[in-house]
Amino acid sequence: MKFRAKIVDAACLNHFTRVSAMVAKLAKICALRISPQTMNFILSDKVAGGGVSMWCELEQENFFSEFQMEGVSAENNAIYLELTSENLSRALKTAQNARALKVKLTNKHFPCLTVSIELLSVSSSSRIVTHDIPVKVIPRKLWKDLQEPTVPDSDVSIYLPVLKTMKSIVEKMRNLSNHLIIEANLSGDLNLKIETELVCVTTHFKDLGNPPLASEDASQDRDPEQMAEVRIDIRKLLQFLAGQQVNPTRAVCNIVSNKLVHFDLLHEDVSLQYFIPAFS
Amino acid sequence: MLKCGMSGTQVKVFGKAIQALSRISDELWLDPSEKGLALRSVNSCRSAYGCVLFSPLFFQHYQWSTSVKVNENDSKTSNLNCKLGMKSILPIFRCLNSLERNVENCRIFTRSDQCKVVIQFFCRHGIRRTHNVCFQESQPLQVIFEKSMCSNTLVIQPRVLAEAVVLFTSSQEEVTLAVTPLSVCLKSSSDEPMDLTNSVYSEMFVGPEEFDFFQIGVDTEITFCFKELKGMLTFSEATHAPIAIHFDFPGKPMALSIDDMLLEANFILATLADEPSRASSQQSLCLSQKQKRSDPMCSPNNNSKTGKNVTSKAPGCILRKTAPKRLYPNETQTDIPVLENCGSPIRKRVNGGDISEVPESSVSDTEETPGSSYLRKFSCMFFGAVSSDQQEHFNHPFDSLATASDTEEDMNNGRSSTF
Repeated sequence: MKFRAKIVDAACLNHFTRVSAMVAKLAKICALRISPQTMNFILSDKVAGGGVSMWCELEQENFFSEFQMEGVSAENNAIYLELTSENLSRALKTAQNARALKVKLTNKHFPCLTVSIELLSVSSSSRIVTHDIPVKVIPRKLWKDLQEPTVPDSDVSIYLPVLKTMKSIVEKMRNLSNHLIIEANLSGDLNLKIETELVCVTTHFKDLGNPPLASEDASQDRDPEQMAEVRIDIRKLLQFLAGQQVNPTRAVCNIVSNKLVHFDLLHEDVSLQYFIPAFS
Repeated sequence: MLKCGMSGTQVKVFGKAIQALSRISDELWLDPSEKGLALRSVNSCRSAYGCVLFSPLFFQHYQWSTSVKVNENDSKTSNLNCKLGMKSILPIFRCLNSLERNVENCRIFTRSDQCKVVIQFFCRHGIRRTHNVCFQESQPLQVIFEKSMCSNTLVIQPRVLAEAVVLFTSSQEEVTLAVTPLSVCLKSSSDEPMDLTNSVYSEMFVGPEEFDFFQIGVDTEITFCFKELKGMLTFSEATHAPIAIHFDFPGKPMALSIDDMLLEANFILATLADEPSRASSQQSLCLSQKQKRSDPMCSPNNNSKTGKNVTSKAPGCILRKTAPKRLYPNETQTDIPVLENCGSPIRKRVNGGDISEVPESSVSDTEETPGSSYLRKFSCMFFGAVSSDQQEHFNHPFDSLATASDTEEDMNNGRSSTF
């Protein structure tokens, strides 16, 4: 297995750092999948994670000026690594104003992702910073759990409001209840509701717009006013929203009634899919 | 009797010094003398010592008078012997930015009749805040460390060091500084190379041109406590003065110091020693291989996550009470076997003569626990280094140490600096 890649462009480096910081907020430990065309940060829906799963994908050529990898074997040309996402995020943060950043898979007593940064210092001499981030190689038999999730047929698909607004509302609601109901319809209405013994609070978002229906036979006779709802753990929603430092280029929310909510975001060229199951 | 006053800006620097020293220990000595006001702190394991000496020029006014006591042995000046708890004094100097803004004048004085230090802030709008802090009578400890005798000296702007420090997480306990004449590397260090936990190993190479002064006599790698380095760094950023790092081989303490016209700060940190067998075979250590931890001699309060004690390093630092205790010649005999073990690198540096003549430090007057004999071992190592330097005192090693400890103003030993 081999992997080496290099970033020389400052904008690409900043973007990659932001993606890594976002992943660090969403999943403490995640899987990193490296394949010839893409790089993925994956959190699979184990019970330990509370059933939440995440799939983040980026095209490697949008970031890396050099990218070489050799997977486990010719037929299985991919590398799956498990790492603590904050370690990568912190290492990348030290690369502000770097002239070049190299990442490679190394084995120093144990497998590591070595991030090597060439910093340009004020006195115009360069400093070399190296971080060895310990990783675990995920064996092939576990790869099946880490595949791209199938997008379920959702009852309603709707564009999200500004995430910062949503986050501040959900933060306040968090103080009142552990469960939150998200409901939306095909007329561009989205509601966030909490219901407790003492109080019910609902925030209404209107005129959000709905993306065009994906499948052909989804021209179901669904009453556009009918709400599809799902009750989820509010902390998981908050964790998801806290990870979005920047408002995404595109943000869609798909609801499968009483089953799960699927957030499909696009941050420039990086796609993020986040699934929160219904509270059982 | 101490009376001094400073302005709001000076209070900020003073407060930063206290904050930096609080990283070392929970206790602070206030030690005024005619040289200025010294703040001293030593950690419980004796592996770190900090002293910030504010010269009289730093203050708006500074008055120090001693009462001279004559007892049956000799006449000696009495120190203030004031030890304060960090818990009492640190909150007074919290929110330094707001202190700088609001305080017009600050006065500190002691009352010789009561064991109290009074700190008064004269703030804007006519507000006056008075803090009375009781102190314990306790003789301050001092460290003798010969900075000019270190083979390696680096002087660097705090900003560069701050950029290096950012690489490490706050949970990083120790860092290693590795130097060669061509490069300097600061890296995270861990005991076991097979540490399979999530600790990231980080290192940063800095070229010689980034240093204000670069002198490397001996290729070496020293490992010391990160927390104490950070403490010194925050203080240096407040003073905007470059930091000088003086060090030698592993096991010998290192000094971080700031020398500015108005103040002098010194942090002496113990460094991790190599195994004795290796130390005796090579004088210049290019790469320390397996490093064994010395016996921990820390207080039981120190605990660590992975079973290693940060403080269980080789405490190469020496502590001597400034009170003029007599040094006892008859104890020298016990030193010889001890020195065989650990003193060899120092031995080679001594220009002739026998270290065993060097008497023990008065610290050994403390309880005869295994810890104190351990401390004794290193106190002798230190004295060896000091006495080798002073040829004129060579034949009278007792004198050099006795005079150094007797009076605060005795600085005529020239190269030996007591701080």
